[in-house]
Amino acid sequence: MKILSIDTSCDETSAAVTENTKVISNIIWSQASQHANFGGVMPSLAQRLHKERIDWVINKALGRKYKYLKNIDAIAVTQGPGLAIALEVGISKAKELAIKYNKPLIPVNHIEGHLLSALANNKTLINFPALGLVVSGGNTQLIYIEELGKYKILAETVDDALGEALDKGARLLGLGYPGGSILEKFARLGNPKKYILPTPLVDDKIKNRFSYSGLKTAMFRLIEKEKPLTKEKICNLAASYQEVAFKHVENVLLYQINQSSNQPINCLLLGGGVANNNLLRSKLRKHLASYKIALLIPYTKKLCGDNAAMVGVTAYLKTKNGELKTIINIRDLDRKPNLKI
Amino acid sequence: MQIVKENPNVIKLAVEVLKHGGLVVFPTETTYGIAADATNHKAIGKLNSYKKRPAGKPYSVAVTDENMATKYVNLNNTARNIYQEFLPGPVTIISKGKNKLAKGVESETGTLGIRISSYPLVSQIVKKLGVPVTATSANASYMKRPYKIGDILDNISVKQKSLINLIIDAGELPHNEPSTVIDTTIDDPVILRQGGIKFKDKNGILSRSGENTENLAKELFQKYEGYLGKRPIIFALTGEMGTGKTRFTKGLGKVLSIKDEIVSPTFNLVLEYGKLTHIDTWRLQNTEKLNTLGFLKMIEDKNIVIAIEWADRFIKEIKDQREHALIVWVKIKYGKGVNERLISWEVI
Repeated sequence: MKILSIDTSCDETSAAVTENTKVISNIIWSQASQHANFGGVMPSLAQRLHKERIDWVINKALGRKYKYLKNIDAIAVTQGPGLAIALEVGISKAKELAIKYNKPLIPVNHIEGHLLSALANNKTLINFPALGLVVSGGNTQLIYIEELGKYKILAETVDDALGEALDKGARLLGLGYPGGSILEKFARLGNPKKYILPTPLVDDKIKNRFSYSGLKTAMFRLIEKEKPLTKEKICNLAASYQEVAFKHVENVLLYQINQSSNQPINCLLLGGGVANNNLLRSKLRKHLASYKIALLIPYTKKLCGDNAAMVGVTAYLKTKNGELKTIINIRDLDRKPNLKI
Repeated sequence: MQIVKENPNVIKLAVEVLKHGGLVVFPTETTYGIAADATNHKAIGKLNSYKKRPAGKPYSVAVTDENMATKYVNLNNTARNIYQEFLPGPVTIISKGKNKLAKGVESETGTLGIRISSYPLVSQIVKKLGVPVTATSANASYMKRPYKIGDILDNISVKQKSLINLIIDAGELPHNEPSTVIDTTIDDPVILRQGGIKFKDKNGILSRSGENTENLAKELFQKYEGYLGKRPIIFALTGEMGTGKTRFTKGLGKVLSIKDEIVSPTFNLVLEYGKLTHIDTWRLQNTEKLNTLGFLKMIEDKNIVIAIEWADRFIKEIKDQREHALIVWVKIKYGKGVNERLISWEVI
């Protein structure tokens, strides 16, 4: 099944063409550089930029071969969660095309897109139950996947998302925003044991939540104490902060794996922008190996951040059994900024 | 419903009604109050229906003296000093409760407001009944302060009237302010409602934990919730990263009975939870307008509560709405101790 998918949930305007789980094109036009010029996000600008770029992005994704959508079987679009006025742009465009070309329209949950992004271009057969870890700027969720479409949230954040915590840590260190990936670079040069920061929620007996507000506060106080900052200090602080932020994820993950020992987990699907972090990947890989759980990560870094291909793949996986029950009356489709998985 | 002029025999009648789970309207030194046996679950349920109270809002109770109070709350030194100086009188003192009353009387965090009325009839009824009665004003939530029976009856429905069993009519009461409410469970006692009795004007506290911060949010909301319906309430939150602005908003979520976890809106900029909208302007560019998030549209809803993090980045845009919204400006600063925060607030 060939799907044209659209995602405009936040700062990226993206369109993709997928055939089943294969990614044919995945065009992402990022506004990050535009926003960075202003030192922050501008929703009105975001909306304007989405509107300006969406046709170009869709045409580019379709390429010459798929022009006029003749060979496309369905259109998929991110319904939420995300920034309301940004979501609106993608949704109205998807509706317009679906009506004009008489194609079914499949609404997709953005988090589910991240959750299943590791299945794009994946040729090996996945056995369930599996775990999913979605770590991004807006979400931190550990999800039990009984089968496709049947999810249970094992743990999620009660305050900041992991990506947000890393971005804010970078900001505290004066590395700009969003600076999670810059933080990683500095951390690589530092000693993660140099500073002691409190691992969040170590006293939780039942580890079913993430929290980063306390770590953020501790980091603020530590930086105040260490000022003035030298490059060496920044590297060590970045390394120590990142280490503890991930330690928290590891603790919760290991606890939950042990909890589900009567139903062996086959694999863990990693998704979301923080899935690009190499330290996190290697830490997870090490832990999972001891449980003989395979780690599946998106085949390219492009699939980790916000993108439309994951939306197309998810739309296919959820409707492939012929039951296009997620397809609703096109005109009724509306954005859902607070959509949950 | 029976209306009786105040007389010495009415005490016995009121006690009988209360013992059977009934509601009694009675005069106090502030306004008319409505009493229910605070140990009787059914009576409190009935009172909830009468007051049309949102869930999570506690009742203060009347006792006869400090001794009786200690059966129901733990009094710390601060509380004892205030008892000695101001009670009996128009002051409600909040302490940590002992969980001995019907559900819904104490707050969700287990605090309880105590009053010792200087109006003799109240203490006489409580003394004869032997247990505390609720000391909430007799108006339904958000309605006019009741200084005469007409103020009550003119503003309630037939159904509400049918819930009152006895009214003790003492004519029109002097128009005194409602009681001053002081919370002694936080280290620095904090005045939650300024009534007739004036304390040193100090609207700041030292919070020693995230829980303290949440409680303050709940209490501040309760202080101003009377405005809802007439105007939206905006909590404009300022403070460094990690001081607890989201934590404060979690407190608002609790008092508004929101079941969803309140999380940081940094990434999404706006998160909506029914009656509560949570905004974070941190990622928003300075030259951008708050209104691109739909701020003006939001405050058209007079029942909405909005918490705005990093409000200091859009001071003018928020302050400009002063006539359309009740704006509580909350400043949170790091204190000396690891978990300490200095929190101050003012209505602007």
